[in-house]
Amino acid sequence: MGWLGLLVLVAAVAPLLPLPYPPGTPDLAHMAVPPFSAARHWLGTDPQGRDVLSILVHGTRTAVLLTLPAALLAALVGGLAGAAAGFWGNTARASFSYWLMGAGGMWWGLQLPIPALGLALVLVGGILAVIANSQSRPLPTWPLPVNALVMGTATALDTIPRLIVVVALVASIGLSATGLLAVLVLTTWPPMARLVRAQMLRVRQLPFVEAARAAGLSERQVWFRHALPHALHPLRTALPLSIAGLLGLESTLSFLGIGLPPEVASWGRLLATVRIEPSAWWALLFPSLLLTLSILSLNTLSRLSISRT
Amino acid sequence: MVRFIFWRLARTFLAIWALASAVFLLSRHDLDTALRLALPDAASQTGAGNALLPGGEQAALQALRHRFGLDLPVFYVSRGPASPAGIRPWHWHGRRNQYHQWLRALTHGDLGTSFRTGETVAGRLRHALAFTLPLTGSAAVLAVLGALALAQRLATAPWWQRPLRAVLVAVHGLPLFVVALVLLLVFANPDVLDWLPTYGFGQANEMSTSPGQRLADAFLHLILPVSALVITAVPELTLQLTAALQQELGTAYATTARAKGLSEAAVVRHHALRNALLPTLAQIAEFLPALVAGAVVVEVVFALPGMGRLLAEASAARDYPVLIGGLLLTGAVRLLALLLADLCYFWADPRIRWQS
Repeated sequence: MGWLGLLVLVAAVAPLLPLPYPPGTPDLAHMAVPPFSAARHWLGTDPQGRDVLSILVHGTRTAVLLTLPAALLAALVGGLAGAAAGFWGNTARASFSYWLMGAGGMWWGLQLPIPALGLALVLVGGILAVIANSQSRPLPTWPLPVNALVMGTATALDTIPRLIVVVALVASIGLSATGLLAVLVLTTWPPMARLVRAQMLRVRQLPFVEAARAAGLSERQVWFRHALPHALHPLRTALPLSIAGLLGLESTLSFLGIGLPPEVASWGRLLATVRIEPSAWWALLFPSLLLTLSILSLNTLSRLSISRT
Repeated sequence: MVRFIFWRLARTFLAIWALASAVFLLSRHDLDTALRLALPDAASQTGAGNALLPGGEQAALQALRHRFGLDLPVFYVSRGPASPAGIRPWHWHGRRNQYHQWLRALTHGDLGTSFRTGETVAGRLRHALAFTLPLTGSAAVLAVLGALALAQRLATAPWWQRPLRAVLVAVHGLPLFVVALVLLLVFANPDVLDWLPTYGFGQANEMSTSPGQRLADAFLHLILPVSALVITAVPELTLQLTAALQQELGTAYATTARAKGLSEAAVVRHHALRNALLPTLAQIAEFLPALVAGAVVVEVVFALPGMGRLLAEASAARDYPVLIGGLLLTGAVRLLALLLADLCYFWADPRIRWQS
């Protein structure tokens, strides 16, 4: 726990730390210097003359800033999608007016001929919804297969191992931190959605959900206020594990030289330099130590939250 | 039951198709970079020497586009340029588009041509598979056998259970490339232990003369990569199987077997193991395609000219036909693994057949 807190702290204050050397600039006078030598490179330099300590510190920043938002976003997307799929199954019915609004919005968004027609559809749908609300006379509804949609997408993303999907997608999007973040979120949410869906299938049978329905709450309120908080329970253990997985994935990607742009400092890229200069044990030891410690403590964290529940 | 398997395979097939299509369409966004990266190689191959001159570059790009069929529209429909009224009209292109031609070639078993080298993708993949299959195949077999042996010993709770379990959990947390690098730097480093060769798999083959020598050389080169894959794969399988075995050992039929006077090892081997195998079979089905992904890392670290390195290099160089070919191949492995797992289910637990 303390270790993880330290990592986040280092990531937060990394630009303010008084490091003797910036991470990106090579010190051509000292290439592949071992640690604790005279030249103020406390942990040595890598074969391209960059300071190992400052790469580590800024690499921590990269890792935390990439994996934490990715894991949280994936938990949000996966949680909501999984909970919706579990709660409604394939039986959800959307009112006719919403279908009209959705179709109109799509028409307008795709700019099919005569975009005004799309806007008109949205308007008609909205008016119908308001009328139906004020007269409390329900409109005809059409089924919306939430479960099939969510699980189908999840299967499509799950079928092929994550590393291969990420490698293929990153190549087509290009090198950038935001693009990588999007790809990571896209490939991380399916297992979370599965977990939450399974839990939701159990929760929706429980008496208190029935009680909430009997009290006259709308379906959406029952789902969001009553069932969702319970269905999100498994995420407490899944989140640390997924952060650990993302940490490994991110460093693997930078190790392979895909994903982040080359000037961004990261642990994986530092590890990759070892292959140029095999005797530089310090460039292998320190980042892999950091990586291992973080992943192990994340695993411990998830086990702790299992035993606490 | 056949219907169940059929539907599962059909769904997986659909998923692979959707994913490959998505990558195909996404890749067409950024084609200029890819072509520019491919330009020197392809141009020198066709013999156009002046392709690197600024004036000739446009023409060379145009020629490349034409050669790979990239001057056609991407999809069945596309948006035209914005007209003065601010509306971008839709165009219908019919069958003359890249996607349709790609799909049609695919159904004929033609994966396309690599942007960089101009060889067929199928040929490159086949060449790479010749290196990868022995690697991943032996790693998979060794990992499964190792996990089976370890889990059977661990389930009887000997005194060394706790330390070994701690080691397994710790190794489970390590990313594959760290394991591979450590192995590389310890066992193949002139400064530490110079036991095994590292680079140069493939070139050495032609120099050595007798087939026996060639085999020994390949064996030496494969030791480290295979052990890296096995080391990362074994803990997951072992921990899972051990937990399942221990649960089975607590059941009534295990007690009965013990009351018959069987030794603990015999109870595990003949009674509990088959019941505990079911979740592990599912895990192995996940694990076969994952080995291909693991090969990406291992082959880059140990500089083996296999599938994984082909994919990693194709990704860095934006060689999309090769990437999509690799994706499809992994998908095929996945289909195969699913089929195998289902067949193994029937072998392990014949009751499954009757229930459905």
